[in-house]
Amino acid sequence: MNRYIMVIDDSPTVRTSVEYSVKSLGFPIMQAENGVDALAKIKSIKGAGDDIAICVCDINMPEMDGMTFIGEFRKTDKFTPVIVLTTEADESKIQQGKTAGFSGWLVKPFRPEQLISVVERFVKK
Amino acid sequence: MIKSKSKNFKKPLYVLYPGEYYATEEDCVLGTVAGLCVVVCLYDPAKKIGGMGHFIVPGVMGTEGLYRDEIAMRGVTNMEHLIGEIVKLGGDRRYLCAKIFGAGYAAGNGRNTLELSESNIHFIQEYFTAEKIIIDRIDLGGEFRRRLYFFPKDGNVHRKILENNEEGSEFIRMERDYIEREFINREKAGRVVLFQ
Repeated sequence: MNRYIMVIDDSPTVRTSVEYSVKSLGFPIMQAENGVDALAKIKSIKGAGDDIAICVCDINMPEMDGMTFIGEFRKTDKFTPVIVLTTEADESKIQQGKTAGFSGWLVKPFRPEQLISVVERFVKK
Repeated sequence: MIKSKSKNFKKPLYVLYPGEYYATEEDCVLGTVAGLCVVVCLYDPAKKIGGMGHFIVPGVMGTEGLYRDEIAMRGVTNMEHLIGEIVKLGGDRRYLCAKIFGAGYAAGNGRNTLELSESNIHFIQEYFTAEKIIIDRIDLGGEFRRRLYFFPKDGNVHRKILENNEEGSEFIRMERDYIEREFINREKAGRVVLFQ
C-alpha cells in the first residue's frame, strides 16, 4: 500500500516547491490545485487501496478553499494529519483552523528544512 | 497605504507604499511610484477584481531555479499575498492578467541597483511563466522611476516616467528603507504552530 503526501495549493510554483522540499522523505506525492480537486484525488487514491500520509494545504484557493476542504475531509477522515501552508498569519484565522480540524499551521515563506521537519513529525507518528 | 480622492480621476485613490499590497472590487484608483521595486497590477477581467503589489526580491536569484531558491521564494510569497487577497474577493488565479512595471536601476540606494534590477526582472519572467499568468503589459528596467495609477475594475494603467528626483521624492526614502528591511529579514521563515 502506498501512502501519499497530498499538496493542495492553487499556485503551481508553490506546489512544486513543496514537492521538491518533501520528496526526500520517500513518499509518493500528488498535487491538487484546490479543495475540490484534492477530495476527488483522495477518493481515487483510497479507492485504489492506497492511503494519505499527510496533506499540505493552502487556505485561499478558488472553487474550494482550505477551510471548506478540511470540513469536508474530516467528515470521513478524523485522523490523517492536514497541515496548512499559507500567507494567512492572523491569530483568529489560526484558531479557526485549529477548531476546523487542521493539525498545524505554517506561515509562508517556509524554509524547506522547517517543512520537512513538521511533515516528518506527523508521518512518523 | 493612504486613502484620498483623486481630482483627476474623480474616484477614491489608494496610494501604496513600498512593500504593500491591496486588492479590491471597488471602482477606485491604486497609485504608487515604482523605483527599483517591482509593481505588479493583477486583475480578473471576468469578475472585475484587481490588486496591486509593490515589492522587491531582496537579492540575486541563485542557480537552483525558482522552485528551490530561497531568494526567489520571497518574491513568490509577495505574489501569494496579492493573489490570495484577489482570490478572497472571488477572483480566480487561472484567469488573471498582469501589467508589470518598475525595476528601474537609478534609484541609488547604496546597493548594486543594476544587479538587483536584473534579478527582479529575472524573477518576474520565471514566475509568470511558471504560473501561466498572462502578461498584458510589461515595462521593466531603465534608469528612471515610474508613477503608476491602476484601475482595478478594468485593468487600465496610466504610467508616467519620472526622470528627476523631485517628483514623488518621499518614495525614494521609503523604498530605500523598505529594501534594507527586506535584506535584513530575507532569511526569516514564517511562524509554525502545531495543534497536535
